[in-house]
Amino acid sequence: MKLLQQTFYNLKRQPVIAGVTIIGTALSIFLIMVVVMLHQVRVLPFSPESNRDRMQHYHYISFGNTNWGDPLENNSNGPMSYKVVRELFYQLEEPEVVTAYLCQPVVKSVCLPKQKPFSADVREVDDAYFKVFDLDFVSGSPYTKADFDAGLPKAVIDENVATRLYGTTDAVGKEFLLNGASYKVTGVVKPVSTIATNAYSHIWMNTTSNCNYDNNWSTLGGWYSVTILAKDNSKESMDAVHSEVERRVTEYNKQIGVEGWQIVNRNRPYTQEKDVAGGSANIEPDEKAARKSRWIIFGILLIVPAINLSSMTHSRLRRRVSEIAVRRAFGQTKVSTVISVINENLIITLIAGVLGLVLSVVMAYFFGNMLFSQGYNFSLSQPETDMSMLMSWSTFGWALLFCFVLNILSSGIPAIQASRQPLVDSLRGGGNNH
Amino acid sequence: MSRKLFKQIRNEWKSNIWLALELLVVSVVLWYILDNFYVNYKILSMPLGFDVEHCYKLTFDDVTDKSPDYIPDQSRQDRLEEKLTILDRLQHHPIVEAAALSNNSHPYNGSNSGSFVWRDTFQTTGYTIRRVVTPDFMKVFRYQGTRGETPEQLSRMLEEEKVITSNNLFKRQNARMTDFVGKELWVDDTANVKVLGASLIGPRYNDFTDFDHTIFWKAGNREILWCDEYTIRVKPEMDKNVEESLMNQAETMFHVGNKLLVNVQSFKDIRRIVQQNNWNSVWQMAVGMGFLLLNIFLGLFGTFWFRTQQRVNEIAIRKAMGATNWEICRRLLSEGLLLLLVITPFAFGIDCLLAYFEMNQYYDGGYFGWDRVAICAAGAAALVALMIIAGVWFPASRAEKVDPAIALKDE
Repeated sequence: MKLLQQTFYNLKRQPVIAGVTIIGTALSIFLIMVVVMLHQVRVLPFSPESNRDRMQHYHYISFGNTNWGDPLENNSNGPMSYKVVRELFYQLEEPEVVTAYLCQPVVKSVCLPKQKPFSADVREVDDAYFKVFDLDFVSGSPYTKADFDAGLPKAVIDENVATRLYGTTDAVGKEFLLNGASYKVTGVVKPVSTIATNAYSHIWMNTTSNCNYDNNWSTLGGWYSVTILAKDNSKESMDAVHSEVERRVTEYNKQIGVEGWQIVNRNRPYTQEKDVAGGSANIEPDEKAARKSRWIIFGILLIVPAINLSSMTHSRLRRRVSEIAVRRAFGQTKVSTVISVINENLIITLIAGVLGLVLSVVMAYFFGNMLFSQGYNFSLSQPETDMSMLMSWSTFGWALLFCFVLNILSSGIPAIQASRQPLVDSLRGGGNNH
Repeated sequence: MSRKLFKQIRNEWKSNIWLALELLVVSVVLWYILDNFYVNYKILSMPLGFDVEHCYKLTFDDVTDKSPDYIPDQSRQDRLEEKLTILDRLQHHPIVEAAALSNNSHPYNGSNSGSFVWRDTFQTTGYTIRRVVTPDFMKVFRYQGTRGETPEQLSRMLEEEKVITSNNLFKRQNARMTDFVGKELWVDDTANVKVLGASLIGPRYNDFTDFDHTIFWKAGNREILWCDEYTIRVKPEMDKNVEESLMNQAETMFHVGNKLLVNVQSFKDIRRIVQQNNWNSVWQMAVGMGFLLLNIFLGLFGTFWFRTQQRVNEIAIRKAMGATNWEICRRLLSEGLLLLLVITPFAFGIDCLLAYFEMNQYYDGGYFGWDRVAICAAGAAALVALMIIAGVWFPASRAEKVDPAIALKDE
């Protein structure tokens, strides 16, 4: 309490320097948190991608044929055929669930009979998809494995599509036309932001209800991606899944090698963090490089204001040379002088940190379009954010950590200098001020 | 004057060294950002080589066996006729000026197919994008030939089974494709010999990418089967509510066999969506630059505010000795600018090193160019100088207001 009073008193004594210190710190934390959020919305779990920490993605397949030359040199890269999904991924035993879904939503025509059609993003997904991605059902439920096996025309739609079709979200059991075919609604979900790249769509339709789902652009290449959910997020479980996929790919290569085909694995499947570090189907993502460039940005965003703030703290402490000297003359040690200066500065850093964090959340919430962008697709839906994506305990944790680092960087050296000031000079009001 | 200035800087060396360090870090980061802007500006101001105004993309999808309109067991010929009928209907539509069908070909795309082109010892440099198109594709996006060929002439060349390429395919051998017009080229296979009809101005992949390496050829019947991009250029006077009016005809005019029109998107929208990431990066860099400049402003403002407070007596004495307000202000400004002058050669050295080690953005065949580094370094120094002037100005104007009689009354 005494420390708080003392801090506020000192802030009031030098309002301009205090203002500059707080604004500088808040700006720094603000920008750092924006960078943290930009990364976190792509990596951290939030509904409907709450299981990101135990997902491994096999979005694209790379493959060659001995007729084309060495498969490692000459290969085709893209989403996979359902043949590969069936023969390779549905056979996995280590994971809890494996789902296959259309690599990115496609636009289809949606309407009620004899009404004008409108365009909506549609993703073909299997029944397991709803176990991997926790779409927020407001009514109804996903279609079942029996529906999937039987190829029944069933779909889950979001609230916006339901309202546009029926004028209400009460749509379960009703039918609508999807590219002219009648589909039954089994569930209605909350709209999904394009930021949840793998879960995003307006309509999720039963893959096998499309009679063309097995028509592909190549024996191995098609339109589908796979996400594998490990039993838990422990390293053992994640590694076990990864090893099993590698082993199965090697075995599968022997099987398809008879016709000259070979899958080039490129260390797939990728964890969420590795997956978002890349973009191209023909290059293994470099998550270490992405991490390194992020830390360089953090470094610059911390060092530049830290130099500023350090100079500011130094200036503030010069004014209090006599006060520090008196405290030392009454027995305060050098170490406790340093600690008291750092603590005092920490209060200022925390106040500014809260301000910076609030600013970053406001920025991300209201100007999300300028920060976030969807993955590669032609959807007209804009990336939208909500608090559950932006705020998590780790966001607070990072903000707090950066506040501490900034505090130590900006007050450490001035505090040590202040504690070393010769007592007699200081009490005389001089010292080496100039 | 300058001797006194150096002495003053030396006396304040501890805080000045921090300021100098900050100016150095910020100058280098600003150079990096300006270098990025420089490259983006250079690329953005290049000719695109195509024109997407009044252009639209139509997406068709298949109706499935769950639809009463589904036609089962279609032959290849049926599927080919479906596609050609749609193209024909588009070409004869009253609002359409030109219509084409293609695969992985339209501008602002994300999917590409590659090819390899060569003639004797000349061969393509890097990834060459294969654009398999129907001839009117040239008219839809208004491509231009390097020898003044019009889109109509280019379209006729494709019709005559000639290929058209970007001018840079044999750049590695310092050859321009214009010099190969009328000659034979090998495409992917020694059995596949094509005559080069023309080379193009540009074209670029998108607004943020340098010139493409690309080859266009006419889609044959086999290739049309896997073409799925319908693109149109509408007559300028008819360019109103195009998406809605075409979608209203989806069930009638544009439901052919198993193909159904499901979406119409303007290239204005496609361009915005596909490049959102690039524009966000530019915006984020600009915010970063603003943050660093503001930091310099705050740093100098705070430091010099404190210094003027500390130096009230000195300023008062100088004023009492006849110094003008401008002289007081000039001393403070010179102090900041001199620091910048001292660090600028170091910053320039670091900028050169970063460019030498290719840590900046690739442009026009490399990362390093004296003119490029110098322009961006000068820009960074100018921005920092502006912030120094702004940061020092307030404390300096406060110093000007010092009344010697009041400040020196204790003396």
